[in-house]
This record gives sequence, C-alpha cells and structure tokens, in this order.
Amino acid sequence: MSRYRNCEGVTRRNCLQLGLGMLGGSGMAQLLRMRAQASESAASSRPASCILIWMDGGPSHFETFDPKPEAPEEIRGELGTLATRIPGVHFSEHMPKLAAMTDKLAVIRSVRHDQGNHGAGNHYMMTGAPPRIPVGCGAFVSFHPSMGSVAAHELGAPEGLPAYFSMPSMSRSGGPNFLGAKYAPFVVGGDPNKDDFRVRDVALPSELSDERFLGRRDLRGVVDRFVRIADEAAADPAVALDEYYRQSYDLVTSPEAQRAFDITLESEAVRDSYGRNSFGQRALLARRLVEAGVPFVTLYDGGWDHHSEIFPAMRKRLPVFEGGIAALIEDLQQRGLLDSTLVVALGEFGRTPKISTLSGRNSPGRDHWANAMSILFAGCGTPGGQVVGATDRKGYAACERILSPENFASTVYRKLGIDPDKIYYTPNGRPVHLVSNPEPIAELMG
Amino acid sequence: MSPSRHARLLSHLTRSALVCGIALYTISPRGSLGDDALQLAAAPAKAEVEPAASLRLTFEHDVQPILTAAGCNAGACHGKQRGQNGFQLSLLGFDADFDYAAIVQEAQGRRVFPAAPQNSLLLRKAAADMPHGGGRRLDPAGPLYAVVRRWIAAGMPRRAADDPTLEGITLDRAEHVLVPGEQRPLRVTARFSDGSTRDVTGVTAFQSNEPAIVAVDEAGVIRAGDLAGEATVMARYMGEIATCATMIPLAGDVDRAIYDALPRWNFIDELVWNKLAQLGITPSPAVDDSTFLRRAYLDVIGRLPSADEARTFLADGDPDKRARLVDHLLERSEYADHWANKWVDLLRPNPYRVGIKATLSLDAWLRDAFRQNMPYDQMVRRLVTAEGSTWRNGAATLFRDRRQPDEIATMVSQLFLGVRLECAKCHHHPFEVWGQDDFYGLAAYFARVGRKGTGLSPPISGGEEIVLTVPSGTVKHGRTGEPVEPKPLFGQTPPCGPDEDPRDVLVDWMVADEEGYFAQVAANRIWAAIMGRGLVDPVDDLRATNPPTNAPLLEALAGELRRVEYDQKKLIRTIMASYVYQLSSLPGERNSADTRNYSRHYRQRLRAEVLLDAVCDVTGVPESFDAMPPDARAVELWTTRIGSLFLDAFGRPDPNQDPPCERIADSTVVQTLHMMNAPRIHEKVVSDSGRAAELATSERAPAEIAEELYLAAYARYPTDDERAAIVPLFGEDSASRRQATEDLMWALLNTPEFLFKD
Repeated sequence: MSRYRNCEGVTRRNCLQLGLGMLGGSGMAQLLRMRAQASESAASSRPASCILIWMDGGPSHFETFDPKPEAPEEIRGELGTLATRIPGVHFSEHMPKLAAMTDKLAVIRSVRHDQGNHGAGNHYMMTGAPPRIPVGCGAFVSFHPSMGSVAAHELGAPEGLPAYFSMPSMSRSGGPNFLGAKYAPFVVGGDPNKDDFRVRDVALPSELSDERFLGRRDLRGVVDRFVRIADEAAADPAVALDEYYRQSYDLVTSPEAQRAFDITLESEAVRDSYGRNSFGQRALLARRLVEAGVPFVTLYDGGWDHHSEIFPAMRKRLPVFEGGIAALIEDLQQRGLLDSTLVVALGEFGRTPKISTLSGRNSPGRDHWANAMSILFAGCGTPGGQVVGATDRKGYAACERILSPENFASTVYRKLGIDPDKIYYTPNGRPVHLVSNPEPIAELMG
Repeated sequence: MSPSRHARLLSHLTRSALVCGIALYTISPRGSLGDDALQLAAAPAKAEVEPAASLRLTFEHDVQPILTAAGCNAGACHGKQRGQNGFQLSLLGFDADFDYAAIVQEAQGRRVFPAAPQNSLLLRKAAADMPHGGGRRLDPAGPLYAVVRRWIAAGMPRRAADDPTLEGITLDRAEHVLVPGEQRPLRVTARFSDGSTRDVTGVTAFQSNEPAIVAVDEAGVIRAGDLAGEATVMARYMGEIATCATMIPLAGDVDRAIYDALPRWNFIDELVWNKLAQLGITPSPAVDDSTFLRRAYLDVIGRLPSADEARTFLADGDPDKRARLVDHLLERSEYADHWANKWVDLLRPNPYRVGIKATLSLDAWLRDAFRQNMPYDQMVRRLVTAEGSTWRNGAATLFRDRRQPDEIATMVSQLFLGVRLECAKCHHHPFEVWGQDDFYGLAAYFARVGRKGTGLSPPISGGEEIVLTVPSGTVKHGRTGEPVEPKPLFGQTPPCGPDEDPRDVLVDWMVADEEGYFAQVAANRIWAAIMGRGLVDPVDDLRATNPPTNAPLLEALAGELRRVEYDQKKLIRTIMASYVYQLSSLPGERNSADTRNYSRHYRQRLRAEVLLDAVCDVTGVPESFDAMPPDARAVELWTTRIGSLFLDAFGRPDPNQDPPCERIADSTVVQTLHMMNAPRIHEKVVSDSGRAAELATSERAPAEIAEELYLAAYARYPTDDERAAIVPLFGEDSASRRQATEDLMWALLNTPEFLFKD
C-alpha cells in the first residue's frame, strides 16, 4: 500500500497548497507553524497537554508496577520481577523497557478508594469525584465533568481542532456532564495500524479529488444566499456557523493540520518503535495531536479485567502496552515535548491479592480491588526515578502515603495549569468544586 | 467594607433597636440619623460606644443574617455539603439549630469564647486575624464585627420562643423603568409576625438575572447598562425572597399608530404587540410562502416538505392556504413521533439501569400517547399514577427507574409544575421559597408506591417488574428524620384513605392547578418548541426570580390550553395561526437586539434527528440503524444505545449522564466537519441509488435538476441568479452531469439555509 493513500500523492499536495494560497493565508497553518517554532526555541513555554492511557477493567498492580515477590504463592502469582533503575524497586518481568527508564517515571502505589465496580471506579478516576449514587458494574454514568472535558473547557484548542480526543472510543465517564456537549470528546475510532485508517471527518472522502473539493467550496459560496443578521445583539446562529465552516475549511485544506492526523508521515523506524499494533499506533497519533496543540487525549485500552487467565493474558499484553508507552515517552522527550506533556496510565482500581478462580471459570485470575492501585506518571515536570507510597507486604492495601482519586485528579489539573479548587456553577446555579480535595500529590509536582 | 455599607448596617441596627423600643447606641443626636451613621463609620473608635445594656441580640435575628451577608454559609464555603475545613454551616442559614450547634458546641467550644469574645475562633477567622482560606470577611473595626462580638459577650443568646418570627421581605417597588446609565437604590423591609418591620437592606443579598442590562451591587443599588432590555433583580434575606422587574425601553418614540395598524389574528398578537409597545420595539414583517412552508413542516412534523409538496403549496392561490397547511400537517402521522421525541428526551431512562425492554415499552407508550393525541392532563395522570408491568405499561417504567419517593417527586415537580425542588432535598432553595418541608411533603405522595417482580440488576436488568400501590409506607424528613405527611406545594389536598392511592390525590391537585403552574409549564414547552425560546427559559423553571418575558401571554396560553381541555394539537394550531408566528427572522431598525419578545422569529438549528432525517430525504438514501427496521427514521429511535456518529455530533440527550436532558442547539466544528466530510454522508450523496444519481440520469435539463434540489433542501425555487450560476457547471456527458448534481447537493446541505429553521 502506498504511504500516501490519505494524500493521493503529489498532485493533492500541490493542489492543497494552491487552495491554501487561495484562502489568503491560513490562520491554522500559521498557528501551527508558530507553535512548532515556539516548541523548538523554548520547550517549557508550550502549553501543557495530557495523554491519559485508560486501562479499562482495572489492571492488576501485582502484575505491573507493584509486584510482591516475597508474598506467598497464592498472592505473588506466576510472573517474575525485574529490577528497575530505582534501587529496591521492581516491576513485572514483562515490562523491561519501562523498568529501564524509571529515571523518567514516577509510580504511585498508594491510591485507594471505595468503589469496587467498573461503572463507579471509572467515574471516580476519570472525574475525580465519586458517583453520587451507588452504580453497578455495567453502568455508564456521569455526575461530574471528566478531566478531558474540563481541560477542553479551560484550555481550548488550536483553531479548528477539537480540544479533547478519545481513541478508539469514549471511556464511560469521560463525558462533559454539565459543561455541555461542546466539551465531549472527539472520538476517533478505527485502527491506526490498518493501512486504510483515517481520522474521521477531518480528511476528505478518499475518492474526492482536491479540485473537486475546491469546486464544491466555490459552489457553496454561490448557493449560500441565507441573509446573516449583522447586529451582534441578534445572536444569529448562522454567523457562528460561518466561523465553524471557516475553521473546517482551514483544517481540511491546510497541509500542516492534515499532518497532525497522518501517522503515515512518520518514519518506519518511529512507527516500529511504538509497536505495529493498534495501541502503539494510537499512542503515536496521540503524540502528533499533542504536537499540534491538542490539550487532552485519552487512549482507551480495553480488556484489563482479568478475572481469569490473568497470567497468559499479562504475558501477551504487557509487552504491547509497555512498548507503546516507553516509545511514547522516549519520542516525546526527543522532540522536546515531554516537559509540557503529562503521560498517565491507570484503570479503575487494582486487583485482589489472592488469586481466585471464579465459578464457571477454568483458570485463575484476580478480582476487583479498590484498596490499592498503581498509577504511572511521566512528563510535565514530574520528577522521575521515584515511587510514591506503598502497599503492605502482601499488596492488600495502600499503607504508606495513602492518596485518593481526588489527589490524583488535582495533580493532573495542576500540571495542566488548571486550579482544582475552582468553582463551577451547574445550569441550576449549584456551585461545584472541580475537585473536592484540591491537594495535588506534592512529590509529583517537582 | 465600604463606608456606605457600615452606614446601612448601622441604620439597620438602629431601626431594629427602635423596633424593640430601646436606644442602640448612646450617641448624641446631632443632625440626621444618616449623618451620624456616616460619621461613626468613618471613625471606628466612636462605634465602640457601648450599646444599652438591655439590648438583646439573638442568633437568629442578628448573627445569622451577618453570616449570610458575609458569605460564610455560601455554597462554595462553609455552606457546602461537607463544610470547609471541618466547619460546616447550613446553606445560606436555613437551619438555625444546626448552625448554632456548629458555632457554639462543636470544636470543643473554641469557636466562641464569651470571656474574651475577640479571641473567639469565629471572629479571629472572619477578621483574618488567623489564617483563613476565605480571607477577611468582617472588618474588626466595623459594626458587623461588633454585633457578633457583643452577641458572644452576651453568652450567645438565641431567639426566645415567643419572639416575633420573620414573615417575609418586601422591596420598596415592584417595577423600575430606567434610562441607560440610571442608578437607583433599592430598599428591603423585613416583616415580622408581630406586625413590626425592619430595614434589612444592608444585610440582604442582591442578584440580577441580566447584569448586562441592569446590574445590582452589594449595597442594593441598581444600575442600568447601555442597552435596552429587561432584567429581574432578586433580594434574598434569611430564606425570604423578593423581586422587582426592571426595564430600559429602546430610545426614541414610536408612533402608537404603528402598533394599532399591526394585524391581530388572535389573542397572541395583541399580547405580543402590547409588550413590544412598552419596550419601543417594532416587529419584523411576515415571511414569504417558502419560508412559512418549511418552518411549518419542521415545527409540526419535524421533516422537510418534499419537492412535490413544495411545488403544490407554492402554486396554490388560496389566501387561506397557510392555515390549511397547518391543519393538514397536524393530521399527519409524523406528528406523533416528532412531538413524542421531545418527551422521550425528558423521560427516557438509562437502559443499562432499567433494562432494554422497559426502556422500549416507555418509548412506545409515549409515542402511542401522541398518536392518540391524548390530552396532556391525562398523559400526566397516567404517568404519575402508573401501575402494572413495566413490560406492558410503559408508563410504569418511570417507577422502575426512579425508585425512591424523593427521586420521583423532583422529576414530577420539575416536569409538570416547573418547580425545581431538588435543591430543597438537602437545604432551603437558595432562589426560592421552597424548603425541605415542601420537598418531603411532596415526596410523601409516593411513599406507598410498591414493586413486585425482578428489580434492577444492571447492566442487563432484563426482568419484569410490577408497580403497585401498597397499604402503607412513609417518607422521612431529611433533617429531622420524622415521618412526613403528604402535603402539596401550596393549598391543600383531601386526606387519603388506606384504599386510595395518594398519587391520585396528588394528580387531582396538580390538575386543579390553583396557581396555574401545571398549565403554564405545559403551554410554555409547546410555545418554546415552536417559537425557539420559552416565555420562561429554561422551560421548566417557573419561579419569581425567573419570570416570564411576557406574563400575560403565558397566562393566556395556559388559559387556552385549559379551555381546549389540554388538547396539545389545538394549542399548536392556535400558536401557528397567530400573525406573530409568521414573522420573519430578519430584524428591522428597532428589533435586531430582541431575543426574547418575539418581535421576529428566532432561528433554530434543526435537532439532530430531524437533521439526519432531512439529509436522508434530500439525498434519497435512508440511514440504516441497528435494532430498527429498514428505512427507519432517526426520529423513531427508541434508545441512545443505537449508535450514530451523526446524532452524537449534533447532540442527543444521553441518559447515562445525570442530568440527561441535554439538547444542544449550538453548532460546533465537529458538526461542520461531519457535514462536509463524513463518509456516511458522502456515500449518500454519491450513491447509485440516491437522488443525485436518479436526477443525473434522468432527462431533466440542468435547470430542472437545480430546481428539484432547491425545492427538496430549501422548499423554494432557485433565483434566476442562482440558476445562471449553476447551469454552466453541468456538462454534456453523463459523468459531468452526475458530478455537478452531487456537488450541488453537497453544497446545499452545507449551508445555514439547510441546517436552520428560519
């Protein structure tokens, strides 16, 4: 397959440049160029972004960042451990790349909460607020805006681009709640590891030539005779629509903007480094979006709910997972983006210390356990080479430096330059604190 | 604190002392009271003069208003649910017992220290004498501080049982007509049960609902902005509310003859013109046939007229054809789905919670109610008193979803009375008169709702549940824990026997509608759907502090709805038979800033489902939905679990969100990108089985193709200019014809003339 399938070769690009010239200089293109220059000259002055890797289902802390090799067999499990660069700290044996780069990482081992099912755990970790009423495992609920929606609301987006992406789907409680649908995630489905992948709606339909698109644009100018109400006080929605169409044209016709979505422009070596799998390529796309100025990207990674077959599943998944994250962090650093990009990886909760075989299952697994969980942090000024907090010897509960989802969310907000103590007003006029406990995790703040 | 605030407070204290028949300060009378007060404020030392020993300050009358005025018990501070840093007060001081205990008894009594009042934590924090997250709230040299200090020194007395109670507050005027830039002070008087009054302006909180039009400062001075318009200013003192209406008419005189000459086709016109005359606004002219046609189709049946329907209507020479069109549309079957959809938005439960089958049965029930044109009061009665299986009686699903009396009570009061009570579950409503007694009294009507069968088991929840009335059941008061008897929000209901369903009693009371809420909220919903903005906005938030923009009109519409015995179609017909309905959206000289008095029509983006159906109709290619029969329309979808990127982009209420009834009317870049580039829309435009292919391969001339597409998308013929610009795009060969047709279709779909109802 051609690497230029989204661009239909050189003709298209020439044509788009022509289109760009016809537009009389694109605000989008200039903005991106300025951002690119700014990032080269002063990396730290870039506005902060966050890539949140959501391990849906609740990854086991034992098999990832908090192994307990000294614990009895029914707790420690089958997987071995690996020394990291931090003396005395071990990771799972299937995470060699992350273990070798712990100087860039911080791991929290002591976040705990009291929501032991997926619906509630997702809500607590994605929003920093516990669900207001008890909800079940299958629940998709939202009582509070998600971190991504708040970031979109507070930080805005580069012109024409959505501010909050979620790939390949939305996380259950990743919505805007009372902030309104304007701040819902822009969901990019599909598998970027496939040759025919394209980010929906931002690229022209593949069989439509550039000439034809530009012709359509001109034709639209001919048929659009709807009278706009010039007086701003009239709040004519058609006037607002014009602005959105202008931004959309910019996005479609600006090569710089299109590049943000086109991972085929990456070298084969870079693409390989992320792993030729959908998670890795999605992480690469996330990096390109952040590079283009998008403030919040959620990478939704399903299937971490290992009630059974936990060991074979972990052996298979962990290399893919850690390979993608390690490459992402390395790549961000090489491009000078790590100082302004926060990477976090987490799920709803940790998993039970005792290995269990649920009725109806043939192989052992671990079940939901909110008394302890591990969260990975990197970038955006997070001091690396540290582990914050600890669980007890058998991994039952966070016992040192016990932290809450509120502390976690407040840390993410602080890193993005958002005050977690900020008060929002719901449409009913009720004041709502962004996070009820606005205390960030001091060790991560640098 | 500003000197004027000191002065006002002092005047408040003086008056309260006068009410008690004693002297407040031993000040020498010199000049007017106001002068003295100002002098005292300017010279704090003098304010230290000791009060007469007999003056008795009480927590309820003197200290709580200060806590509220200083913001201590605000929702963002100590008034929030878990308080702030371990110190919690009731929100805005609605619970005196609780607040008294928090201040006097909690924290080992450190908060108050009568032996040395100035060392009380309460005062040291409030004065920022100690680190305080809220900063300095009371000036140690000011009179508010002095009152609290003296109250502590006096041993923190409370109100005696036989002291007069606060009965309400009054603003000195109910209406203010202002010119731009004008300022005017408000005065607030509290009335007590013994007939006494007190000026409480200094410790009253003020708020304007439109600060850009008329702002109000903390001293209660209203200030008109530069723009003409209206605002309501609210005063709140110790849970009591008073409001006044303010208006800034448009500058310049309008000849009364202009209003006299306007058409009056029914009562709506008269009432709208009256309001416009007050404001000095003149209305836009009426629209042409095409705009009316498209508007009426979208309003009544939520779809575009077909090209042939448009041709027929435009060619019709009957002067009465607009009224005939509305009558015809009201009889079309699409009416039911379109209007039921608005209720589905409000009532649709989370399918992950109640189960798919119960969700489907409620959806089917609502559509059926609109298909039968069930009178609105009957629809409400059947919903609120629903019994039976959630699989057979869809209305019963409401009680599967809302399982606690308080959950159903908040919904019923908001949807059917326009009263938002949820605040009053935990605290006195901050903008209204409703308190916890009202909330639990209403909830008690649902205390005897029982359930049998299979309860919730998310996320499948597939079981059948039977809703019934059981012989006993109580609701307990959230604060006192005492059982609460059913009590309506106002007026009375007859006692309810053990064989009766209290819900029947409640609905009888709702429908009797003493205060007019029931019919007004229903009429307002229908008006808002058609006219683009409710007379009250949000549509289900009726309260003194959010008054209708045209109260006589809302009352008249409600009266009309009662007169036609809650036949919703009849009210729709009446609204659409007004001249006001036919007004153009384009403003003239004297109404471009009008966004709430209906001097012009307000443009609305088509709702997500209506727009998707319109795209399908224009392109001639239906959408294919999961869990629906072929050729189903978006407006027929019964659950948001049926995926659609289009509907998500344009916004549909998501019952997984709480609150769920979010309908965005805004446009976004995501939407415009979707219209421009979405593969599904592209496929429709270029489909071999679609309208573009059919037209291109037909014998029609290019001008005829353009005409057909214009009629389908815009319900109008192209102008000569447009024809002249479009025809040359069509070549002779079939590929060129096809491409030109597709491109024209794409262009039409991507204009505001298509995306909006004008």
